[in-house]
Amino acid sequence: MSSTNGTRPVRVTVNGTVHEATVEPRTTLSELLRSQLGLTGTHVGCEHGVCGVCTVLIDGKAVRSCLTLAVQVDGSEILTVEGLAAADGTLHPLQEAFSAEHGLQCGFCTPGFLMAVYALLTEKPDAGEDEIREVLGGQLCRCTGYQSILRSVMRAAAQFRESKLEWVR
Amino acid sequence: MSLDCLPVTERRWIGRDVVRVEDRSLLTGRTRFIDDVVLPGMLHCAILRSPFPHARIIQIDTSRAEALPGVAAVVTGADALAWCQPARSTPEGWGLRCLASDTAHFVGEPIAAVAAASRAAAEDALEAIDVEYEPLEPVTDPFRAMSGDSPLVMEGKGTNVMFHRVFTWGEVDAAFAGAEHVFTEKFRWNRVGANPTETFGTVCEWDPGTLELCVYGSIQAASSAALGCAGTFGIPSSKVTVKSQHHGGSFGGKGGARGIVVASMLSRKAGGRPVKWIEDRSEYLVAGGGQAWDRHYEASIAVSGGRVTALSVTLVDDLGASGEGFGALGAAKPLAAFTGPYEIPTARYDLSLVATNKTPVFPYRGMGPPPHFFVLEQMMDIAARALEIDPAEFRRANFIPADRFPYTIPSGNEYDSGNYGEVLDAALSLAGYAELRREQEEARKQGRLMGVGVVSTVEPGVFDWNAYAIVGMPQTGVPEGATVSIDILGSITVRVGFSMEGQGQYTLVSQLVADYFHVDMDAVSVVQLDTRSAPPSFGPGGSRLGVAISAAVLGACQRLTGTLRRVAAALLRAPEDQIELWDGNFVLKDRSGGALSVAKVAATMLARSDLLPPGVDPLPEATYVWTAPGRTPADDEGRAKSYLTAAQAVHVVVVEIDPDTGVVEILKYAVADDCGVRLNPATVEGQLDGSIAQGIGAALYEEYVYDEEGQPLVATLADYLIPTINEIPVTQKTAVVTPSPFTPLGAKGCGEGAIHTTPAAVMCAINDAMAPRGVLLTEVPASPQRVWKTIREANR
Ligand code: FES
Ligand code: FES
Repeated sequence: MSSTNGTRPVRVTVNGTVHEATVEPRTTLSELLRSQLGLTGTHVGCEHGVCGVCTVLIDGKAVRSCLTLAVQVDGSEILTVEGLAAADGTLHPLQEAFSAEHGLQCGFCTPGFLMAVYALLTEKPDAGEDEIREVLGGQLCRCTGYQSILRSVMRAAAQFRESKLEWVR
Repeated sequence: MSLDCLPVTERRWIGRDVVRVEDRSLLTGRTRFIDDVVLPGMLHCAILRSPFPHARIIQIDTSRAEALPGVAAVVTGADALAWCQPARSTPEGWGLRCLASDTAHFVGEPIAAVAAASRAAAEDALEAIDVEYEPLEPVTDPFRAMSGDSPLVMEGKGTNVMFHRVFTWGEVDAAFAGAEHVFTEKFRWNRVGANPTETFGTVCEWDPGTLELCVYGSIQAASSAALGCAGTFGIPSSKVTVKSQHHGGSFGGKGGARGIVVASMLSRKAGGRPVKWIEDRSEYLVAGGGQAWDRHYEASIAVSGGRVTALSVTLVDDLGASGEGFGALGAAKPLAAFTGPYEIPTARYDLSLVATNKTPVFPYRGMGPPPHFFVLEQMMDIAARALEIDPAEFRRANFIPADRFPYTIPSGNEYDSGNYGEVLDAALSLAGYAELRREQEEARKQGRLMGVGVVSTVEPGVFDWNAYAIVGMPQTGVPEGATVSIDILGSITVRVGFSMEGQGQYTLVSQLVADYFHVDMDAVSVVQLDTRSAPPSFGPGGSRLGVAISAAVLGACQRLTGTLRRVAAALLRAPEDQIELWDGNFVLKDRSGGALSVAKVAATMLARSDLLPPGVDPLPEATYVWTAPGRTPADDEGRAKSYLTAAQAVHVVVVEIDPDTGVVEILKYAVADDCGVRLNPATVEGQLDGSIAQGIGAALYEEYVYDEEGQPLVATLADYLIPTINEIPVTQKTAVVTPSPFTPLGAKGCGEGAIHTTPAAVMCAINDAMAPRGVLLTEVPASPQRVWKTIREANR
């Protein structure tokens, strides 16, 4: 159902909350989240699919929200970085691991890393270093040189294998 | 000096790995970056850019764009001519206005800009602006640019040579004439740059009522930006407020001055509505602050008896189409460490800064020494190879001895302290150097190209403006201030003038204050003030802020303690000089009598005027502004005591080259680093890791490529290859600690040392690998194609 000026209604569940919005066909998912829904934790670093800073989960899969059109996600469940910590502010174990291992400096890339790793570990709890590196290879960080990010993720993965339930959002 | 100056029995925070105070809001997506800022009535800006490297602008017609729905304002070069001055620049007089009016000087130069209800509407409106250009011959080769028959980048200047001077330190000609050996080589360093994951962005508001300008932005140096705005618009600096948002990295190359001026003009034209401009990645790559160091070198060293006696460096530095990015500072900074860690008595620097029709260059982490050390360290290896001396031992023989510090180098700067031999030993043993050479011998027997690079550099830390005096920065001193304040409930707030950009400086402030007053880190809050409220502040840059802000905070704590002690003395009925602060309490030095907590004393000051001693204000607060002591103005050969500290590092890198593809693989990476006392060791390690990764990018992958006509061939992150985790080796690291005698806590600047060293080390390893083939690669980055071609030469 498209209106005369080309806009379309979409209905999405983001971090458990249902939203209805009207978007232009060219509106990207990152724009919908950031500008229309006020969820600015998802950042944009390149808008051309390389940096991975904008990564969010759509129905459990990690995607680049800068390359996804808002109209494509009608009816989907989306998880963004704002959905990781508990309602009372307790950090998600993955966030705790990044803090403990200094896996962030400026933190601009961090939401993308968190969401990419969350998708990997919830899908493949036994992911080893090679699989983790493969996923991290799709995300750019200009500050850390990645060493501390790898340590963060290895720590989180070990923790996840022990206590899956705390993890899943 | 040392951490022992803190008034506590045991330090709980400073000098230890602590969890950063910055992390929680970053990890939950709550930190407000510039693109998250939304003001009422805000418009969005898009910029029309020149598609030509050099062109006459015959005419611009904006009428169609102005008529589009949602478009609130359009500005062109005519507005820039009416409202602003050209950008300040180094060298002086080589700045351009924010929008081109008659000539376009590089691809991506802003020509016009639109403010509209949405970014999409603004971008659509750009397509309705009609510009007629007459392409001119571009100037792209700096050597041609210097010749008499070249077209001119800026016609009014009459030349493309922005600056040329020869600096001579000591009897350098005699040293070359009398040397047993002289080695000479040419080198090329191609453009690389910062590329933080967040590009530049700003929201500007020109208040038509007060005629004041308010700028929010992802700005590295807020106070400089404020002064720049005042100068550009010709308004009093007291009418400009800059508030830097927390931002996603900078590395010197955030850029943004043009964006601020353009957005401010649009706000003015749109009746004062705030205007947001967010640079997109392609704009950043083509015409942002991310390009640095486009350099052509020729270098010579003289060697007698295994000692280097002279160093001569000729640099032709292509600064692009203007001096607005202050890229020239990067050609001046090598003076602070011209001869590296070596005792080289004489030196010469023949420096030309040249304009071409390429994007203006900007600073980048390291600010110039990374290419300089790439050159110096290749020369050290060239000499060692020719003289058949082990490169590590050749370096050791030339090191400044540990008993010679403080040591003044020929180009004038003074190194505070160091023990270079110890750092070398630490690196060699960490890497297993002797064993590596045996492995290499085996590999060579099998015809494999395995190489080892051993490189040592000095990182000048805590910059001062006098370091850049030769290219027109006459000031001396870079003050950094902090205010420490205690409220009636004993909570402590520290007010500073810079935003967070990744180095964890708010954590450092909290660590230091928490230990000083013996409270938990949670009890300390760090608050950023804007440029009209903050004490003098420069912010991060030049491996400076850790030392500067810790010195400022320490000074403020001590000053505040002095005030509190007067009150405590009155309350304890003891002479002031008998009282000291210890573990968070004011006590008698002989420990007789009672104790009063800092919180209690502060609360008494604010709540009990009846108990306040005469002459003491009810203000438990102190401000201290620190600047590096002992800095000297530059003399007529540019010599100055500029950078306060000199950290030193040795990197050992092992590579193997695939001769069929030219691909370089890093097999091992070991680092020994001496940056003095480490205030937060995990943060220092993070600085090393990040800086090594950028160095590897510069050595192997990253390059801003232009074609011969001056068209940039890099417009996306698929063209500009920032290393991913899979290009960065796991490094081994070890620390040597030689405290700085000149900084309050003994720390040295540490943010740039690795990028000074890594490109040189990787290139030395590559050339060591190819040495049996008798070839040398003198150009970075060592892309597979360049390496492969170099190996082919050997086979011919
Ligand atoms: S912003 Fe989406 S991949 Fe870079
Ligand atoms: S922490 Fe700054 S880009 Fe990753």
